[in-house]
Amino acid sequence: MSVIAPAQRTQQITIRYPDAIEAEIAQLEAAILENQWLAATYNPRWLAIQLLEGDATLHRKVSDSPGAAPILATLAAGRARLAATYGEDIDVALVNCRYEFVHQVVQDTVEQTHRRHVSKSDRLDRVVTHPVWGIPIFLALMWIVFKVTIDVSAPFLNWIELVMTVPIANWTVAMLSLVGLGETWVASLAVDGVIAGVGGVLTFVPVMLALYLTLAMLEDCGYMARAAVVMDRLMRKIGLQGKSFLPMVVGFGCSVPAIYATRTLENRRDRILTGLLAPFMSCSARLPVYVLFAAIFFPQHAGLAIFAMYLLGIVIAVVVGLALNHTLFKQADESCFIIELPPYRLPVARNVWRQMWDRTASFIHNAWTIILTVSIVLWFLLAIPARGGEGAFAEVPVEDSIFGAVARTIAPVFAPLGFGSWQATGSLMTGFVAKEVVIATLAQVYHVETPAEADAPPPTVIEDARLIVASFVQAAIDTLKSIPLVIGVNLFEAEAAPEPTALMSAIRNDFGATSGGRGTLAGLAFMAFVLLYTPCMTAVAAERHELGTKWMWVSVIGQFAVAWLVALLIFQGGRLFLG
Amino acid sequence: MRELTIALVGNPNVGKSTVFNALTGANQHVGNWPGKTVEKRTGVLRPPAARAGEAALSTTPTVTIVDLPGTYSLSAYSLEEEITRSFIVEEHPHLVVDVVDASNLERNLYLTAQILETGAPLIIALNMQDQAEGRGVRVDAERLSRRLGGAPVVSLVARRSEGIETLRKLIFVRLGQLAESASK
Repeated sequence: MSVIAPAQRTQQITIRYPDAIEAEIAQLEAAILENQWLAATYNPRWLAIQLLEGDATLHRKVSDSPGAAPILATLAAGRARLAATYGEDIDVALVNCRYEFVHQVVQDTVEQTHRRHVSKSDRLDRVVTHPVWGIPIFLALMWIVFKVTIDVSAPFLNWIELVMTVPIANWTVAMLSLVGLGETWVASLAVDGVIAGVGGVLTFVPVMLALYLTLAMLEDCGYMARAAVVMDRLMRKIGLQGKSFLPMVVGFGCSVPAIYATRTLENRRDRILTGLLAPFMSCSARLPVYVLFAAIFFPQHAGLAIFAMYLLGIVIAVVVGLALNHTLFKQADESCFIIELPPYRLPVARNVWRQMWDRTASFIHNAWTIILTVSIVLWFLLAIPARGGEGAFAEVPVEDSIFGAVARTIAPVFAPLGFGSWQATGSLMTGFVAKEVVIATLAQVYHVETPAEADAPPPTVIEDARLIVASFVQAAIDTLKSIPLVIGVNLFEAEAAPEPTALMSAIRNDFGATSGGRGTLAGLAFMAFVLLYTPCMTAVAAERHELGTKWMWVSVIGQFAVAWLVALLIFQGGRLFLG
Repeated sequence: MRELTIALVGNPNVGKSTVFNALTGANQHVGNWPGKTVEKRTGVLRPPAARAGEAALSTTPTVTIVDLPGTYSLSAYSLEEEITRSFIVEEHPHLVVDVVDASNLERNLYLTAQILETGAPLIIALNMQDQAEGRGVRVDAERLSRRLGGAPVVSLVARRSEGIETLRKLIFVRLGQLAESASK
């Protein structure tokens, strides 16, 4: 026995074309056989047919091969002769022959035992993919996905935060105390750097699981293909296609799964463009920032101000999408959108389960290194004193740390936007870790104590364990309770937790000072900046993984530039407009 | 040890990934969503289980299966089509397994016709027999094979793993035949 020679091909002719075409195929085939390289690589008859059909890719490959001139001459002559009979549509003639062949084969081999009636699937599709009715159905389903993701995951998110901050942190400190490192900087690094970083990754896990669960169910039941059909016309306007809509919707929950959701697009161009636009959708981590700033600067119209941010994100995505579509992502020719509508079926638990875990695990696997690194680096920046003698390592006040010094250096960049203080700058820097950290940093740098941290006697391990279990049960109950609320709209009152007024007045005073008395405009510019600037490091890690390092940088730098310009327009434009 | 490569092709959403998983024992994600496989993935075809008392074939070659992106045709209009086509015509896999949706035969066979034209050795895996039966469609596999230049046709319900072992054996048999005719 020997290895099958790769060049061995079956030489049977299965599809016979009209005699005029066959004559040209034969001539061209003969010319190709003269060319050793081409004859060794391709089936000559097949190549001849493709060339006659006008295949541009193969034409280029043949032209680039040595000694192609006789083939190209034969091809040109052959096409000219065929044009006399078939006009410009030689390719159509060839394709039709193939269809005719297929049709004949089907006639010969397929027996239709009973008349095909309109299936349930077809009847459902008449409504679901209807040009008018399809859109509200789609929006309703997306709303449910969005709500389930946020509401179902929220209690578990709090649970993970609780577990990471209280028991795990306590246990770590206790264990370090055993080796005499309890009150040192090592404990601080472990708790505020490593555990905070790991916790940062883990808090995303419930969101990802909930999101992938709902998406997997929609996907497995066959709806996703319909959704793509419904949204195709709208998305096409910004150079995307129907399937791009899904990552955009997901982006309102969290940019990270949104970027991973681009994987369902086949075409690399569409994946990148969608991945670049998805972070403009205002993710749930940005909401607490809007809530705080809206309460400070727009106490009468907080809901409206928050809603405006969501809207602004969509508008900017459309504008950027249009701009990219006409520049970097110009399409040579509009690709047509063909999607097969798979039959509806009940989601298979095994598929849904596997997809949910696979995607979430892939996220954790890819995100944890970058997040841990950034968290530790940030901790060191906050721990190392910038000026000698003013506070020891790990005990230095924020403004005297390297972090404070860096913030002070960068601050002038934001001066034209109305918030050029080092405090605001510093909060934007930590906002890169996670957008909701902006508020924690503001509280820290304005020296406002966060209220919840009462000094209780250290709990025992058993108490901690009980706390973990009890709070998990509570989280599960809260999740179940939240399911009926999915249909309800509670966007505006949900997270409006009372913030310490000391922080609010500190921010108001500071923004008033840095903006020359235009605090409200500066606040609005800050909100827009938080909405639009560089996504958090987890999202950046996702971008690197899905889109590649180059596009990650395009996003990091591009979004910063867009945010800066929009905030500038708001602040300076507002100043001009209001006189 | 001989190293052989076979390519798995087919229209989107015909159960190609299911067939791939069944043949390789891989755990690739399967979705009811066309275009799941955007890059080619590879796995190793597990040899057929030896029957009781029968020694495992010592000459069983290592067969790599390449799962190509689902396409409707081999014209190089999209990235998937280009990937699939250049693999078939330029990398010369030893065998091409074309997964075909039996309930949508007419649309699926266009790709099959194009693969036949490339002259690549072909096996047709007639999948989704259950759905076809549900729609009252009965495909004469033997006749189909004759009409498609003698390419072997296997009926499958990949979702329920029906016919997978037949396909697995057929792949090895066919590879053996092709090797023999090449050595003549």
